[in-house]
Amino acid sequence: MDELKKIIVEFAETSKKTKFYFKDIEKAVQKVNPDAKMREIKNACTALINEGTMIYFSTGSSTMYGLKGKGMMEDPE
Amino acid sequence: MPFEPNEPQKEIKYEETRIYTDAELNSCSDEELKNFKIKHQIPDLEELENGPWPSFVADAKQEALHRRKLADERMLIDRDVVEDMLGQLQVSFDDGETHWKHGGIVGVFGYGGGVIGRYSDLPERYPSIAHFHTIRVNQPASKFYNSDLLRTICDMWEYRGSGLMNLHGSTGDLVLLGTTTEQLEPIFFELTHVLGQDIGGSGSNLRTPSCCIGRARCEFACYDTQNLCYELTQYYQDELHRPAFPYKFKLKFDGCPNGCVASMARSDMSFIGTWRDSIRIDQDTVKAYIAGDVVPNGGAHMGRDWGKFDIHKEVIDLCPTKCMSLVDDELRIDNQECTRCMHCINVMPKALKPGKDNGLSILLGAKAPILEGAQMATLIVPFMKAEPPYDNIKEFIEKVWEFWIEEGKNRERLGELMQRTGLPKFLETIGLPPAPQMIKTPRENPYILWKEEDVPGGWNRNVNEYRTRHKR
Ligand code: HEM
Ligand code: HEM
Ligand code: SF4
Ligand code: SF4
Repeated sequence: MDELKKIIVEFAETSKKTKFYFKDIEKAVQKVNPDAKMREIKNACTALINEGTMIYFSTGSSTMYGLKGKGMMEDPE
Repeated sequence: MPFEPNEPQKEIKYEETRIYTDAELNSCSDEELKNFKIKHQIPDLEELENGPWPSFVADAKQEALHRRKLADERMLIDRDVVEDMLGQLQVSFDDGETHWKHGGIVGVFGYGGGVIGRYSDLPERYPSIAHFHTIRVNQPASKFYNSDLLRTICDMWEYRGSGLMNLHGSTGDLVLLGTTTEQLEPIFFELTHVLGQDIGGSGSNLRTPSCCIGRARCEFACYDTQNLCYELTQYYQDELHRPAFPYKFKLKFDGCPNGCVASMARSDMSFIGTWRDSIRIDQDTVKAYIAGDVVPNGGAHMGRDWGKFDIHKEVIDLCPTKCMSLVDDELRIDNQECTRCMHCINVMPKALKPGKDNGLSILLGAKAPILEGAQMATLIVPFMKAEPPYDNIKEFIEKVWEFWIEEGKNRERLGELMQRTGLPKFLETIGLPPAPQMIKTPRENPYILWKEEDVPGGWNRNVNEYRTRHKR
């Protein structure tokens, strides 16, 4: 779990984007760790949300993840 | 067995939870309302009030007047939100474009859905609605609640929100329209800890499942829609609140093919009650219908003179598969041909009943996107039993999700993915054999597609050798 969390945070920190679909996170993690299962990655994302490292961004119809404080404003542009 | 919740349910008593006095609730007379003008000019909206039907404009104006009369400390968000919302809507009419901005990071802690961020892009002109977020509240199964709960929610929402709500959103939830970011956590606390409710789904997650009235009141229900809806809502809490799907996903439950929640048109996975055996016929009551002793359609069309009941004209000739006949006053049904359309049962409910070996059909892939137009669901599982704890159904759902999460593109609904992959490949992935029920005209449409390894000799054969035995 901690390893997955680290991979996710590293991916999010180094990416040019600030918001990610879950699928993009999943792909990024599996590139580093091909054995990681979808559900484990989801649980790692949930843990990052619960500890406040990541936050959800929602348009109402779809949802993305991002690092708290990195280009994600409360107010959308 | 009657429906039983998993946990003891809180009983809400409005007298204990209420915020407002009767005087505050009934503060406006009809006369006042008629002469009331909000602070903005809204000519186009007022035009909407002139039609034959009640208008949301009239409702919103009533709420605006009501908020004008409440004391300052009796509302936690701006008094003017309703007036500003109407004012901004008039500007949208004038400009021909919306002034709401979509989305944001607002939500309640730990939940990835249920709160939909909305912001005005004219915050200087309409400051009270600069933040105007929507909250979805998970409706109870079949939308059964008592007035104590509804009145409690209404008071809470007047106090902490705009007072505007819509019952119910197309997903099924109670939709609370418009509050500030600061109020989201307190509202979540009130709903969950005080009232024992939960917020619903939004975004890329499982949306609030919804079901027809089912066995609570309807004798046609072929399975317990409320129990299945409740069970899956509880079982898939993680999918509901913590999004990891490519896009939204909706589950809806109809107890029979009458489809009172229209699951076939409105859900990615639609469950429709059906039966495997024969329609139950009570021949004496059929005769009573023919003789006019029992009113057809449960009396639904009694207001006009439809003349005497004619079983040929009104039932037998209308059967879509022409599988009914009357032989010596005996009603016959060729059940193998019956497509379970419910027509005959609806007309003569006292004489005909769905069969007893019942369960459900599962249809996949309906959607109603704004850009491409609607798509109805495709029947994938002709019949499945539906008994608690529903392990067979959960197994199927998870197989479909696994495929969709794996193969689906971002923002691709299941129906679009099925179209992209094609039915044969889709069936193969989820491990189901093709069946004639999946096809509209199975006698004309080749629904079994051969693969090379299934054919002796594969695709390569020697045509010349074949021609030695078969002349052109
Ligand atoms: C020109 C104006 C607008 C356009 C083009 C637009 C477009 C869209 C689109 C394409 C979707 C996704 C639909 C889907 O699920 O396939 C959507 C969803 C949504 N829109 Fe907008 N929208 C507009 C205005 C608004 C306004 C004014 C509001 C609210 C005040 C709003 C609230 C929503 C909500 C809540 C959803 C999510 C619905 C759901 O997932 O159930 N939209 N919109
Ligand atoms: C008084 C003015 C309004 C009226 C009469 C109104 C009416 C409606 C109607 C008829 C629906 C569709 C419900 C259905 O298909 O079952 C809907 C959906 C919705 N509206 Fe509005 N609306 C109003 C204002 C707003 C505002 C101001 C917002 C947010 C800023 C909003 C947000 C939404 C959302 C989020 C949904 C989707 C709910 C769901 O399907 O779960 N609405 N509204
Ligand atoms: S869908 Fe069928 S079972 Fe459900 S309420 Fe309607 S008629 Fe009754
Ligand atoms: S349910 Fe429909 S298809 Fe079946 S016998 Fe009755 S009318 Fe015919």
